[in-house]
Amino acid sequence: MLTLPPFEYHSPTTVEEAVALLRQHRGQVKVIAGGTDLVPNMKHRLFTPAHVVGLKAIAGLDRVAEEGPDIRLGAMCTIAQLARDPLVQKTLPSLAAAASQIAGPQLREMGTLGGNICLDTRCVYYNQTYFWRKALGFCLKKDGTVCHVVQGGQRCVAAASNDTVPVLMTLNARVRAVGTNGLREIPIAELYVPDGIVNTVLAPEELVVEVRVPRPEGRLIAGYQKLRVRASIDYPALTIAVAAKIDPADRAEWIRVVVSALGARPHLVGGLERFRGRRFDQGLAAEVSQVAYRQCHPLTNINVDPAWRREMVPVFVRRAFARAQLSGSGYFEKEGAQRTSDSPPPPNTPTQQTR
Amino acid sequence: MSFGKKLNVVGRRLRKVDGLQKATGAAVYADDIKLPRMLHCKILRSPHAHARIKRIDFSRCLEHPGVVAVLEGKEIPTRYGVIPWTPDEQALAADKARFVGDEVAAVAAEDELAAEEALELIDVEYEVLPPLIDPAEALREQRIKIHEGSKQGNISKHVELSFGDVAAGFDRSAAIADETFYYEGSTHTPIEPHCAIGNYDADGNLTVWSSTQIPHYVHRELSRVLELPEARVRVIQPFLGGAFGGKSDPFSLEFVVAKLSMKTGRPVKCLFTREEVFWAHRGRHPMKMRFKVGLSETGRIESVDSKILIDGGAYSSFGLVTAYYAGQLLTGPYQFGAYHFDSTRVFTNKPPCGPKRGHGSVQPRFAFEVALDMAAEKLGLDPIEVRRRNFIGENVKTINGQLITSNGFLRCLDLVEKASGWKERKGKLGFGRGLGVAGSMYISGTAYPVYPNEMPQAGIQVKLDRSGKVTIFSGASDIGQGSNSVPAYLIAEEIGCDPRDCLVVVSDTDLTPVDLGAYSSRVTFMLGIACVEAGRKLWAQISAAVAEKWGVEAARIEGSLGTIFVPETALSMSFKEAVRLAEAKFGTLGATGSYRTEKLGGDYRGGTIGASPAYSFTAHAVEVQVDPETGIWTVERVWAAHDCGKALNPTLVEGQIEGSVYMGYAEAAMEEMTYLPSGLHRGPSLLDYRIPTSLDTPELTAMIVESGDPKGPYGAKEAGEGPLHPVIPAISNAIHDAVGIWLTELPFHPGKLLRLLREKGKPRAPVPPVEERISAAGESRA
Amino acid sequence: MLGRPQKILISLDLNGQRYELAVEPRSTLLEAIRYAAGLTGSKQGCDKGDCGACTVLSNGAPILSCISLAVEHQGDRITTIEGLAHGGKVHPVQDAFDLCGALQCGFCQSGMMISAAALLERNPKPTREQIKEALSGNLCRCTGYTKILEAVEVASGQRQLAELDPRPTTGSPA
Repeated sequence: MLTLPPFEYHSPTTVEEAVALLRQHRGQVKVIAGGTDLVPNMKHRLFTPAHVVGLKAIAGLDRVAEEGPDIRLGAMCTIAQLARDPLVQKTLPSLAAAASQIAGPQLREMGTLGGNICLDTRCVYYNQTYFWRKALGFCLKKDGTVCHVVQGGQRCVAAASNDTVPVLMTLNARVRAVGTNGLREIPIAELYVPDGIVNTVLAPEELVVEVRVPRPEGRLIAGYQKLRVRASIDYPALTIAVAAKIDPADRAEWIRVVVSALGARPHLVGGLERFRGRRFDQGLAAEVSQVAYRQCHPLTNINVDPAWRREMVPVFVRRAFARAQLSGSGYFEKEGAQRTSDSPPPPNTPTQQTR
Repeated sequence: MSFGKKLNVVGRRLRKVDGLQKATGAAVYADDIKLPRMLHCKILRSPHAHARIKRIDFSRCLEHPGVVAVLEGKEIPTRYGVIPWTPDEQALAADKARFVGDEVAAVAAEDELAAEEALELIDVEYEVLPPLIDPAEALREQRIKIHEGSKQGNISKHVELSFGDVAAGFDRSAAIADETFYYEGSTHTPIEPHCAIGNYDADGNLTVWSSTQIPHYVHRELSRVLELPEARVRVIQPFLGGAFGGKSDPFSLEFVVAKLSMKTGRPVKCLFTREEVFWAHRGRHPMKMRFKVGLSETGRIESVDSKILIDGGAYSSFGLVTAYYAGQLLTGPYQFGAYHFDSTRVFTNKPPCGPKRGHGSVQPRFAFEVALDMAAEKLGLDPIEVRRRNFIGENVKTINGQLITSNGFLRCLDLVEKASGWKERKGKLGFGRGLGVAGSMYISGTAYPVYPNEMPQAGIQVKLDRSGKVTIFSGASDIGQGSNSVPAYLIAEEIGCDPRDCLVVVSDTDLTPVDLGAYSSRVTFMLGIACVEAGRKLWAQISAAVAEKWGVEAARIEGSLGTIFVPETALSMSFKEAVRLAEAKFGTLGATGSYRTEKLGGDYRGGTIGASPAYSFTAHAVEVQVDPETGIWTVERVWAAHDCGKALNPTLVEGQIEGSVYMGYAEAAMEEMTYLPSGLHRGPSLLDYRIPTSLDTPELTAMIVESGDPKGPYGAKEAGEGPLHPVIPAISNAIHDAVGIWLTELPFHPGKLLRLLREKGKPRAPVPPVEERISAAGESRA
Repeated sequence: MLGRPQKILISLDLNGQRYELAVEPRSTLLEAIRYAAGLTGSKQGCDKGDCGACTVLSNGAPILSCISLAVEHQGDRITTIEGLAHGGKVHPVQDAFDLCGALQCGFCQSGMMISAAALLERNPKPTREQIKEALSGNLCRCTGYTKILEAVEVASGQRQLAELDPRPTTGSPA
């Protein structure tokens, strides 16, 4: 059995108390939400904090609500909760789709939105036991100086592997975090930096408490595709979110595509402004997908053939748009359509049959 | 055996004797066992793939307050190996570490964390040596020897055998397929990691509980290595959480917990982490194979010639046998005109390979069944037809001297042909969708024990008394296949009791007769014959006593599910009453049964290896769909027909077929043991090393064929390994049918297929619209 | 031991029974269940949440106990395999698994049955796809899942056992 290292456990009941603990034990403390990321990493001795601060006793962080122009998602909402929530399914269907495909059923019951947003970056040379990493000679991200993905690399390229993030980026979400200076709001596109060691701008004692997503108005097409070897459990080999705002004449007002499971920062595909005003159809989606293809370069940080993953980028960008198109007026369900809270949204994983 | 008699137990879908124990969490597995004052052991492993061990310094480690004892290789230096001719392992390496993960030292401490911390405090001085990772390189290399005493470089075993004139056969051939194949290594990943507990008591008796599938061989090796008399060593196999051949070697942890218990006077437990199960390995050998298959104009197999390089990893394990099996197990279900194979197993500095379900034969079977399709295609012959034409028959000897008794292969082909709609649909599914077929044959146990002796290979003891309780003592290892239940079914069938009144006491070397272990699919066949023998002896006594009471001939008496009676009369009594009469007449009751194979196999060196008292036969048909945009292939369905002779319990047989197909599919789709150039395994976890989830596993239809073997118990043959083989070549053949690409290397990564598709160019035929394809398939299935 | 925080007393509700356990804060829920409370039905398969053998229910939701902290589940209603049976009668899922031959080695099955029981509680008549989805976090190496899926269909009353017995053994397609 892999053991956990020893630590003191704290269970604050307010956000302020939690932040104070993070400040007090700065440098020796980690936050635990669902534990699905932290606990395996601690078993791997990637983190050995002397103090662990649990968030479960803080009330009020697990709600989904509409407020004004926003959908408010509490950071302690579980992934399963997001996948099943009727408001999320109705207004943010690409987020429900992404959530329903994270990991496996048990992990979705445990993992949280905040945890997914703050997910540690991943790499085949990093997410291993202490024995393994020592046999390797360690790596740039942890305990060593050499990157085994990029020869001579000085910047860590461990992969951002959080599936909610590409979707939230296409939908212009804002992350709200509380630190020693109080609350601040960070547009999600500004939250991430291309540094695999710490890939967010959050301060060490800052706690994500909420995500706010503008409620989509008008004709907004939002789609999501995930590529992974198995249809469950696996982290993404590619995780792709698309969104486009279509005017009444079927022309694109804006198009956003985010591809992740590449390097440390989810990649917002640039240069899509050139398509503004063009008629939005499958042909346009194909051109957009080629732009994405030119910008995306999967690495050997994930153990799925990077050359093949690169070839899959345009395919799955196109499919994300195509499947969003198929439902009629974008990915939205018709007003009042029923969906049982237990059945996941139509599977988009390529390992499923298309009928 | 007993084919006319109406069966009351055999052939019925009864519950297992231990099903509800497992279902309620009551079944005790090795890690569930806790003994008073038990210590926890952790093993220190080499971070180097190849290194001399110069010195081990425990001084810092011994200062850790939780540490109670330490152990190094010099303290138990006796070499062992599951095959007595190749004892090249030590419980803890004393001279050299030969792979990353090789066991070097051990610690017993008050708890697991303390033991883990203590490992970091052991200082080992290594002299690092160049690692040999690639088998071709290891073969060429003459200066660096992984096993320094070797007189043949890094060759573990070389076998070359020839039957008939292959060259002449190729000259006569109208179509020849000559191709190179690569079968990647894979491992068993039983959900239960290895676990052992050693307890050396005040009387000087050693007990080892271990998740092993070979308690008898472990018993022998423990005794030898620890220098304790066998009569003072007891090996108990508790409930075991899956094995598939991965627990059929003696392992370090068994010796280490025993020795540490001897040193400390306390019980010692070692539970492997999942990563350590990858170091233990003993899985599927990677094989690079060149196969040449020649067919006559009419599709008869004239010649088969193969050259195989087998990557053995760092130690021998069953490797001597593997090198033979790579060629010896291919000579059915088809008749070969001539056959030659040349197989070489090579040591490399990686975790040792060993027997994984279908040991040594899954890889060549893959290559052969695809090469057969390749050659048949050149003649325009249908793949099922070419297999029918080469059917070897029943009660025949194969070209390499193996005796086939019953053979239901044709029926297997018929079933998969019909179930898959082969005749109506093959070639008509359009680009991207295809059907494939393959066949295979497998042994029901080997004709020889691993160490030569004249004693039984399986045995059973039965006790019964006036309470009506029947206690059966079986040494066989239940690894999930149901060998705890089979004795109850067979004894109940023979003596007329209710199987629910049977208690089966199992796999305890102090209590149960010797059984060689759960490997090479021997248990149902061999243990079954022993059970029938014991049951008949008891029935002779019971029926004699009852006959006397009723004044009828014993031959007229029958027993069924707890009632003893004479049919069509009013004569009837309970089983319990019948036993009381027998106990009164004969005294305390009990009977034994045993089994040993007769002399089998070809009359040449190695001729017994691959010989078996009976062979099972399998045919699979597979329907695949290929997405040409991504290279992703999905299996629509697998139809698996397996001739097991007689299904003693059809549910258990289906379970074996389904599990086997799943495991074969997994190897084709996603399993691969891959290593960094340094010899470090790239991903020793169940996250990085992927096995299919319920969402990934194709729908499958298991079909049982019962050819009724004359030798097997009630005609039964094996079902645990045979059904794995054909699915892999059938998938490759189906993908070829779908998109015209032969996939000759495992696993069949979508990236590989996509690259080959793009190189090949345009599709053969336009893709029909989705709706058309679905209705075409649906109609033919009606 | 070196630098180890003191054990703390936690109170766990396991199968409706209160257990007072002295554990280190680092103790996982699985360790507490197996080694402190002695309920060995839940299994260690992979140490870090990749296989599902450790699945238990926390307030009815299936979770991986090997990556959960024991200290965080005080106040939760934990159900382990030992708690599926009620009043001396096994749960329909347990009975169906046995009858349908879904139990080979049995090691993954505590977790599998817990996931199945949780599914049927939420969705009493799941489709085959929904069953696969709900069990997709539980790895099984023995069965190929076929009989597990059938067992859940039987337990939910959507498939009759008689269909499976006698099942055709001479090969008509399912």
